[in-house]
Amino acid sequence: MHEPKEIFVNTSKCTACKTCEISCAVAHSRSGNLYGALQEKPFPKPRLYVEWVAPDINVPIVCRQCEEAPCMHACISGAISRNKEGVVITDTDKCIGCWTCVMVCPYGVIGRHLETHKSYRCDRCPDRETPACVSSCPTKALVYRTVESFSKDIRKDAASKMLAEERV
Amino acid sequence: MKSDYADYLIIGGSAAGMAAAQAISEKDPKGTITVLSEEPDMPYFRPMIPYVVTGKKKAEGIGISGNGPYTGAGIEVHTGARVDSVDTSRRSVSIIGKGQVSYDKLLFATGSSPYIPPEIKGTDASGVFALRKLSDARAMAKRAESTDHAVMLGGGLLNLKAAFALLELGVKVTLVVYSPEVLSQLMEPKDAGLIRNALDKAGLKIMTGHSARSIISDKSGVTGVSLDDGSEMPCQMVCIGKGVRPNIKFLSGSTIAIDKGIVVDRYTTCNDPHTFAAGDVAVTFDPVTGNRIMTALWTNAVEMGRCAGHNMTGLKTAYAGTFGIMNATQVADEPFVSMGIVHTNNSAYEVHVSASGSTYRKVVFSPDGERLVGVLFIGDITGAGMYRYLIRENMQIGRIKSHIVDQTLHYGHFLKG
Repeated sequence: MHEPKEIFVNTSKCTACKTCEISCAVAHSRSGNLYGALQEKPFPKPRLYVEWVAPDINVPIVCRQCEEAPCMHACISGAISRNKEGVVITDTDKCIGCWTCVMVCPYGVIGRHLETHKSYRCDRCPDRETPACVSSCPTKALVYRTVESFSKDIRKDAASKMLAEERV
Repeated sequence: MKSDYADYLIIGGSAAGMAAAQAISEKDPKGTITVLSEEPDMPYFRPMIPYVVTGKKKAEGIGISGNGPYTGAGIEVHTGARVDSVDTSRRSVSIIGKGQVSYDKLLFATGSSPYIPPEIKGTDASGVFALRKLSDARAMAKRAESTDHAVMLGGGLLNLKAAFALLELGVKVTLVVYSPEVLSQLMEPKDAGLIRNALDKAGLKIMTGHSARSIISDKSGVTGVSLDDGSEMPCQMVCIGKGVRPNIKFLSGSTIAIDKGIVVDRYTTCNDPHTFAAGDVAVTFDPVTGNRIMTALWTNAVEMGRCAGHNMTGLKTAYAGTFGIMNATQVADEPFVSMGIVHTNNSAYEVHVSASGSTYRKVVFSPDGERLVGVLFIGDITGAGMYRYLIRENMQIGRIKSHIVDQTLHYGHFLKG
């Protein structure tokens, strides 16, 4: 079976430049470019959030596509479903803005468009090979990989660090 | 009935029943699943019926199967199937006019019905509604065509939603509330200011501290309501929103344990190992207070229904319980979320409020200040789900408390705090 890719975060590389937030908002705008996006109503919004934990940790927070997705089951209008790629998506036409998904999302990553009275969320950029946040990240703090390949790299990385320490 | 046996038999085709059926079909795709629903309509998203009143949605547009996580695959649904008795020793239920169905595992997901206070006289007149079923929504929409003024009895969320549906249709609406303020189950009067202002601005007339004595009618149906102060209000429609009661009548004479609702253990199992219950009809527990409670919320019913479905397939899954108070919605452009312990007047709870002209965020801690027990957010409901998680897990909040108090909490604090 084709294993779906996930967005992984390496907080030690994140500088909180927020390029990911901007490129996410632009990628989800109608015009698709920054200058056009700035003029649009409703104002395009990012679907991931770079947060700060004192004193010096930056944490990009993005939808985890939960296996037993609470938002999807809690939705009272049947607007949230999982597509063939395993991505949880909100059908804006069916969303009634009751905010039940906001009430149950443990990560706090479901946003609200007040102008349109609809909720919005990360959709993993269905028209792109790599989500806009990941491809725009200048420090590679965000990576888009399968779980297996990401954990393999972490093991390799840890092993090479251990080797380096031994040489010292 | 297509067949008189099902591996999984589910009584009730709403939130808990359909969620259980879906969960079962995911875990045991080969098992036969039969859902018995007493309503004439195929299962639908019940909270959507106010949109059927306004005409914004058609009945066929709010069906469950094929929407959200519901594939409907492998699930046989029978509408108009009303169960009148259950024989747990022979593992069989009897359906009025349709014979018997036997089962291996049985789920009670019969939900609840509106409570109509017997002290109010004349509630059987035409034009008196309790908006619960799709058939009520259709009848209400029809009656609204000849209604100039509607009186809503009860200031709960369901009645507010019905009230807004009617306002949208151009009907004048008066809400008669016995409590000192609307939504008294979800918030204290002193916390309800923003909501009340929004309701007033939206054109809803609200009379607090009043109740109805009787409903006056003639052959055209409702013509007015007589109130406890002796006054009379002419109207052509009355909506009663006085809460719900679990549907357990069909179990009289059975051996299933009842305590107001159907009693289940943590694994949603009744006092018979082949029998389960979930949703409004089941007695569950509140992880904050430890109290045994019954709730009537779609979201809770789905969660418990899925849990019961898993247990029915043999996948032992503990239900985490839910808060007696929990709801989110938007009334009159004012979003709010209320969950856990939010009634704090004359209590020892540690309460922090941060308010602006358009937002009100109240957080409630245990008296020792070490656990979050409830939140009420109005206007700004950002991140509400994180707080739900904190309350439900009953965890020591330690260092993140300051972020909860000053409203700067985000998920990063859980990871790196």
